[in-house]
Amino acid sequence: MVEETQVRDFGNRMNKRKSGHKKGGNKARKKQKQFPGMGERVKIDPRVKKFLRKKARDYNSDDEDTEEGLAKGVEDDNLLPEYVIAEDVGGEEAEELGNEEDSDEEGEGTLPGITKLGEGSRAFRNAFKSVIKKGASEDPLGPVLSGHKKLVAEKLAEEEVERKAKGDAKKEKKLVAEKGHVKPANFLDTHERFLISVATKGVVKLFNAVNKAQVAQKGLNPLRSKDAKVINKRKKDAFYGELRRAPSASSTVKVNTSEGDAEGGTPSWAPLRDNYMLTNPKMKDWDKKLDSGVEDDIGGMSDDSSSDED
Amino acid sequence: MARLRNKNRKVFSKPSLKKKAAPTVDHVTGDKIPKSFVFSRGKMPGSLRQLQMDLRKLMLPFTALNLKEKKRNNLRDFLNVAGPMGVTHFLMLSKTDAAPYLKVARTPQGPTVTFKINQYSLASDITQSQLRPRCPPDLYKNPPLIVLSGFGSGEQHLKLTTIMFQNMFPAIDINTVKLSSCQRIVLLNYNKDTKLIDFRHYSIRLQPVGVSRRIRKFVQNHQVPDLRSLQDVSDFITKAGYGSESEGDEEAATVTLPCDLGRVNRATSKSAVKLQEIGPRMTLQLLKVEEGLCSGTIIFSEYGTANDKKTPGKENQKNQGDEENEDDDGDDDDEQEDDDEASE
Repeated sequence: MVEETQVRDFGNRMNKRKSGHKKGGNKARKKQKQFPGMGERVKIDPRVKKFLRKKARDYNSDDEDTEEGLAKGVEDDNLLPEYVIAEDVGGEEAEELGNEEDSDEEGEGTLPGITKLGEGSRAFRNAFKSVIKKGASEDPLGPVLSGHKKLVAEKLAEEEVERKAKGDAKKEKKLVAEKGHVKPANFLDTHERFLISVATKGVVKLFNAVNKAQVAQKGLNPLRSKDAKVINKRKKDAFYGELRRAPSASSTVKVNTSEGDAEGGTPSWAPLRDNYMLTNPKMKDWDKKLDSGVEDDIGGMSDDSSSDED
Repeated sequence: MARLRNKNRKVFSKPSLKKKAAPTVDHVTGDKIPKSFVFSRGKMPGSLRQLQMDLRKLMLPFTALNLKEKKRNNLRDFLNVAGPMGVTHFLMLSKTDAAPYLKVARTPQGPTVTFKINQYSLASDITQSQLRPRCPPDLYKNPPLIVLSGFGSGEQHLKLTTIMFQNMFPAIDINTVKLSSCQRIVLLNYNKDTKLIDFRHYSIRLQPVGVSRRIRKFVQNHQVPDLRSLQDVSDFITKAGYGSESEGDEEAATVTLPCDLGRVNRATSKSAVKLQEIGPRMTLQLLKVEEGLCSGTIIFSEYGTANDKKTPGKENQKNQGDEENEDDDGDDDDEQEDDDEASE
């Protein structure tokens, strides 16, 4: 409170000084006071006035304001009650704007302009309000000047052309990447049917061969040596017979029998045979004489792989 | 009061999962099981990457399904890994502006056969085009059968191709093979006129012959049929249903199974073999056969003039771009007789 009184005194002194200076200010004040629709006016204690004025000064402390800050004491004085109490937003803005305009006008010191302040600020207020109400406009260019509009339109056109060129290049790239990729038809056309029939024939042949071999073998126990011989014989005959029945014309089915030697008596389980994992012909006589540097390794069958190909 | 313990209570113990070492040698035939790597050379567009994945699935189970390759891996890296793992074949996909290429090679120094992929369809395209796509759960547990047709027995390069493809898949012993394990088939059909090889991949299905559709479905699915409109069960069994249009084809395709397969196919009665296409579909053109692994002398080449132009230095390069470019150059020249090349 002490502060306030001091401020008040100071402000009072300032007030007196100011009121002497500005005559137009008084008129403006009067005009503004009588201006309708600006909200209710309440008589305020001058102490409170000073306090509020100080607050407003702090609030309005821009560069422009600080220059004329003190000089504006009268205006602030007028404005403050309206600023704080007025409910009409437009009025408040008008006051502030009116304030700025006022200060501009004052710089020049023309009296007639001041009398028109009320209408000027009202017009500005209306314009501002309508702009705010409109919000964002639909036009992508926005409310711009016509010259700028042309530039922007040109730029957009350029971008369109660029995009098109890029799009074409991309499409071409895609075409090249997908070259050869064909989507199959929904139905089976004749060629496909033919291929399926070929494959079916192969499968049927194989299954029949298997059938023959396995059914014939059912009765015999593969571990008995007598039976084993019979099995072997049958195997060979049946297999070759089946495959020969397909003459050199159409198809070969990949079937291998497990026969190793031409002589009978090879056991059907691989490790029992003599040449188990010794398909390398060099390795056949491993116990007879050591050859140089032949690896007997599962992985190291690289040599015989090429010999197998021939 | 003590809780009564049920002495017959079975203690649930988790079966210990032993990791089985991948078999390198077929225990029945004694031959080495061929394994393969499918990978691509260079950056591939999306659909070719899918084709690569489809080929990997095709070669299952004896291939690396999740093989990861980096940009800086070259052929030598793959060769080094292939040795200890027992990998015998490489399938390499590559792409140039002209077309995608497939190279089939035998490691470590085997011949390389280069194909140009004229057309291809992905497995997903094919399943989309079908009304009832079919994928039983253990379809890829066993290796496929392979059927080669139309190659004849004459020309050397064709022979080499057949041998190479035959060796890519493990052999089948007809005495011990279980027919339930033969579920897939790969078909390679050579057309002499156009010199194109059709590559197809089918799944095998056996259906009993002479059984009406309703009964067969009932036995397979165990779904109780709707007998509302029927007076008697005999009506259900004897009702004449519409014959399917493929029954005529079935006549040629019937087999007698040595044992029962599934619920429906019995040992003594006849069953029909039905194939349904899965997997990628390709049309290949044989371009080149080289003696080495992507290097070495050229045993056969579709475009003879390109062959003559090549210097030995270039041949030894593993640079694929060169070779493909030369093939493209060969396109412009007239095709020479293949017989000349083959006889060299």
